[in-house]
Amino acid sequence: MLLEAGSSDAVVVARVLRGDVEAFSELVERYRDRYARYAFHMLGNREDAEEALQDAFVRAYRSLARCEDPERFGAWLFRILVNRCRTLGARRGRRARTFVVDEVALLGAAEEHPAGTTAWREEIDRALQQLRGDQREAFLLKYVEELGYDEMSQLTGVGVSALKMRVMRACERLRELLSEVYDA
Amino acid sequence: MRDETEQDIERIARELRVPVAVGRALDARVMRAVRRLPRHARFGLWSRLITPRTVTVTPLVWGMLAAAVAMFAVLGAMHAGADLNRAAKPIARAFFPGPKNAASTSQRVQFVLVAPDAKKVAVVGDFNGWDASHAAYQAQHRGGGVWSVTAPVPLGHHRYSFVVDDSLWVADPTAPRVIDYDYGMPNSAIVVQEQK
Repeated sequence: MLLEAGSSDAVVVARVLRGDVEAFSELVERYRDRYARYAFHMLGNREDAEEALQDAFVRAYRSLARCEDPERFGAWLFRILVNRCRTLGARRGRRARTFVVDEVALLGAAEEHPAGTTAWREEIDRALQQLRGDQREAFLLKYVEELGYDEMSQLTGVGVSALKMRVMRACERLRELLSEVYDA
Repeated sequence: MRDETEQDIERIARELRVPVAVGRALDARVMRAVRRLPRHARFGLWSRLITPRTVTVTPLVWGMLAAAVAMFAVLGAMHAGADLNRAAKPIARAFFPGPKNAASTSQRVQFVLVAPDAKKVAVVGDFNGWDASHAAYQAQHRGGGVWSVTAPVPLGHHRYSFVVDDSLWVADPTAPRVIDYDYGMPNSAIVVQEQK
């Protein structure tokens, strides 16, 4: 049976919980690209970002019965993804991988960039990957995902004042790293 | 100065907010992994038994319930010496019966679950990708509600659980619990060490 276009998350979750495994693909399609951005910026490369996304979706399926508010499945999934990115980020740190700038192009950003802005984008990506993991996480949640500090605190389990400090340090460091680009 | 900083950060953030597209191949990989997991069955027998619900009870029914409780109390006293091993609650344990394998990277571990009403029992864990259909981890019924399987588990710390009838996850009540912090799901912990 096909899902009706625009079914709410709660409707899709209910169908999966009734045993309709294929309905889960609707949720994957719905949130795949929306959350790929965070995973990619957090982890810095396509391979790890896709691994984190896949892992988050599979974990979400396994524990779907424990999703207390199916209408907010997306927020719940995002919490799982944030944790997976932390875990994979720590593993990546141990592997001491080098960030590959060309990944930006490989990932196929949904919008075309004029040649002049590509270099600027690469500089930003490079600077972002030089931030500490906790500062990068706080910066992305605040400025890219545009969450409020209370939401960030609920999501990460970190206090609001500590998050504000991380965001401030991240902003300072990004400006420092990108100062040469600004000057140019 | 403050305005200048905010403008710089906004400029960076604007660039990072550009959507990122991931290929549809990811969907296929996720769904392949999901299809290997036990199917949810919220309205199956197990789920109906464990799902909380509100029930309205009339005084007449209260009387009948009281009578039934009294009757079961009498029957219970008559069977006070009954075999406790036949309790309905699943009881599980895992131990190491066999020699280590040639590569010395894993041990054969026996998983045992007492589940008198089960029709199928499998062991899932991080050592088999949480795959309830993995052939090597299907428990066999040994009689009297006892299910067991002996299977290889790599050396190290692992999380595992039992899956009963493809739908009910049962953590091992005799093993330490591990909470998965992503979503609070209880699993059991096992440490597999090299045999001396």
